[in-house]
Amino acid sequence: MAAMRYAGLLCALFACGCVGTESSAGNAGGTLAISTGGDPDVLIPSLLQSVQAAQIADMVYDRLADIGDSLNILNDKGFTPRLADHWIWSADSLSIAFHINPNAKWHDGFPVRSSDVRFTIASTKDSALGSPAAPLLTNIDSVTTPDSATATYWFHARSPQQFYDAVYQLPIMPEHVWKDIALTGWRASDAAKRPIGSGQYRFVRWIPGAAVELAADTANYRGAPKISRLIWSIAPDFNTALTRFLSGETDFFEQLRPENIAEVRKHPELRTRQYHALLYLFAQFNLRDPANRARPHPIFGNRELRRALTMATDRATIVRSVYDTLALPALGPTVRAYPTTDPNLRQIPFDLPGARKLLDSLGWRAADTNGIRSRNGRPLQFTLSVPSTSKVRVRLAVVLQEELRKAGVKVDVEQLDFPVLVEKERKRAFDAAIGQWSTQPSPGAVRGSWGTAGSRTASGNNYGSYENPVFDAYVDSALSSFDHVQRKAYFTKAYETIIQDAPAIWLAEPIPTVGYHSRLQLVTLRPDAWWAHIPEWSIPADKRIPRDKAPASTAASPAQTPGQKTQ
Amino acid sequence: MLRYIARRLAQAAVIVVIVATITFVLIHLAPGDPFSAVMDNPNVSEKVRETLRAQYGLDRPVPEQFVKYVNSLAHGELGWSFSHDRTVREVLGRALPNTLLLMGVALVGSFSLGILIALIQVARRGSITDHALSGLTLFFFSMPDFWFAILALLAFTYWVPIFPVGGAVDPVMHEYMGFGARILDRLRHLALPAIALTLLASASVARYQRAALLDVLPADYIRTARLKGLTEREILRRHALRNALLPIISLIGLSFPALLTGAFFIEKIFAWPGMGYAVVNAIATRDYPLVVGGVIIGSIMVTVGSLLADLLYAWADPRLRSH
Repeated sequence: MAAMRYAGLLCALFACGCVGTESSAGNAGGTLAISTGGDPDVLIPSLLQSVQAAQIADMVYDRLADIGDSLNILNDKGFTPRLADHWIWSADSLSIAFHINPNAKWHDGFPVRSSDVRFTIASTKDSALGSPAAPLLTNIDSVTTPDSATATYWFHARSPQQFYDAVYQLPIMPEHVWKDIALTGWRASDAAKRPIGSGQYRFVRWIPGAAVELAADTANYRGAPKISRLIWSIAPDFNTALTRFLSGETDFFEQLRPENIAEVRKHPELRTRQYHALLYLFAQFNLRDPANRARPHPIFGNRELRRALTMATDRATIVRSVYDTLALPALGPTVRAYPTTDPNLRQIPFDLPGARKLLDSLGWRAADTNGIRSRNGRPLQFTLSVPSTSKVRVRLAVVLQEELRKAGVKVDVEQLDFPVLVEKERKRAFDAAIGQWSTQPSPGAVRGSWGTAGSRTASGNNYGSYENPVFDAYVDSALSSFDHVQRKAYFTKAYETIIQDAPAIWLAEPIPTVGYHSRLQLVTLRPDAWWAHIPEWSIPADKRIPRDKAPASTAASPAQTPGQKTQ
Repeated sequence: MLRYIARRLAQAAVIVVIVATITFVLIHLAPGDPFSAVMDNPNVSEKVRETLRAQYGLDRPVPEQFVKYVNSLAHGELGWSFSHDRTVREVLGRALPNTLLLMGVALVGSFSLGILIALIQVARRGSITDHALSGLTLFFFSMPDFWFAILALLAFTYWVPIFPVGGAVDPVMHEYMGFGARILDRLRHLALPAIALTLLASASVARYQRAALLDVLPADYIRTARLKGLTEREILRRHALRNALLPIISLIGLSFPALLTGAFFIEKIFAWPGMGYAVVNAIATRDYPLVVGGVIIGSIMVTVGSLLADLLYAWADPRLRSH
């Protein structure tokens, strides 16, 4: 597609947006205190890993354009202008020229320029930085800057999600702040502790182990946000973080557990809201023998046996036991929030008698007094590894253990430290594990986590070593298709192929539930980032409480004043 | 005395080196590494992890890493914390004062309260009060630290909300308070964790002190005091307590490790930003330098605390003072 955005139209639209924001800015104010479980790791967009860091960085920094709530990633449909006020595709679609909004400024007063865009992409792609985002930018060849207001992305190949790759993966960072710091020294730099961005909130302070504070950037090119102050109140213990929310010390709690809902409902001033997230959990089988990877796994190497285990599992009951109503049975290696996911994907149905019959036919027959099946003297028994730090995953493992026991399968649940489990998975030294993938708006990650490419290389994420060229082909076709209907059809075929091959039991797709104070007026909670619309949240003046009236922070993030440096 | 102190300090240094070495080796031999969490993202390839490992020298053999670490220690550097993205010195430098404050308050509070309880018990030995206090101290003595902390948190911040929910300050309002209000805010946040730790630690002090007082009561000088017509209260305070304090002074030295461990649990539950919060998280995330740094500081605190207790003992006992 060679879509073109017309500057005039967009500027007009943008101006409307500004007027709207300004009109509401008179009513702006209040403090949003968010209960969170830990410090951010590092406040550098190209290096951050933790969800806390992502939340803060998304407020402080801006992308060129933002993905829409529908999470469409095909071409530029649904994307809204941010730092770029418009963009122009080249005729062959191998480049996109982004025009930088002339009003956009960094929080230290410097104007945002195209060289900042070039610098962000070049530094992230540099292997010396070790950015986790670098592999997601492989289709971007380079960024050139014909003038200070235009950044042109050049791509290796035309792709349906090249626009998404260009704008979603990274917010833009200020070149003048970072260019004199060696890439290997970014984490240790002062700039990493006092980020300067161009977003609607500017950084105020970070007290490790206690809080991170942001303040509204009232002079922002997109208008001032409606809430004046954001505070992430840090408590590493879940119960402490929850108690802070229940006792009114904080306003927002991002992940309530089923057992917390009743407690929240006792407080008339608190509310809950659910949203669909990009997260699914599964019991993954290792299809290769951990002792000798050249051989198939003595149990899970057999497709029919894996299907029998899936048939023996009442997933709806498991999900209800563990999550109550806060999750749905997972559909497969995907989530319902993707526009490309058919919610009616054909599943292996729960059929315990059928599973027993199938196991009998495979030669696994009940032999011992406990009803555990065996074949040629080998019991149908395996170890299910699970991270001890995840209560949900431990509960899933225990309920699954009971489900499979009914079919004559003995499961030993092994609780491991998270780093130990990851190490075992990397080395493929496990039988089965309860895993979860938290994905991005692009369903393309399925290629690395379930495709052959991720299985054969030691560096791949397909820990179970599931390989099926048919699945790979459907995924490749889907990802290269520019037509939404066709794309969805290919993905449906890919998902149904892998579901029928049963390299995992697809367990749950959580529906995260947030708790919030009733004086907050939320808007949409986006599946990939519930915080994305925080600048549009508000607290009506008549509902404000004392902490909403705290004076605006006097602390300032700028380290320099404009004009000190020439670019 | 100076020679004794120098010898004890040398012994302490050897202990710290041994503990740090063992910790370094064990944490490096544990499966996983600081960048395991990176792999919990399906979009991140193993190459990124390898780059990060190489960047921080974790791809080198453990003995080589150890030599490098010892070299940086010799230069006064404790290394770089992977989980905090700051120097270990900076992380512990922020955390240590908070832990010392919590431990210091709990140490003074627990010994004062423990001695007071023991005095009441001995003054009313055999009475219902004595039995009730014995039961109460046994209750706190047996109570797991983390469980008591959770109960205290729920009871006094949620059911009867008289204290704030954890942290060292009010994260929302502290920066906007005046000087006096800030001090008050700090004290309000310190109160509950300090009370929890004090109650837990005072139980053992009370039990030791009660036993020590009962040991000295049959002594001749106590009988003489009675014959002189002193009241029971005066006897306890002026004669029995002074002599029964010696074993409690030893207990100060012994209580340092327990207080430090207790403080770790209390810090975690009350979100108190001390060493416990930093080091417990560091173990889970395989933040090697922070774990070893925390252990070094912890073992210095314990050995120095023990030395101080010995010196206090020598000062308090006239028989040892002359040596």
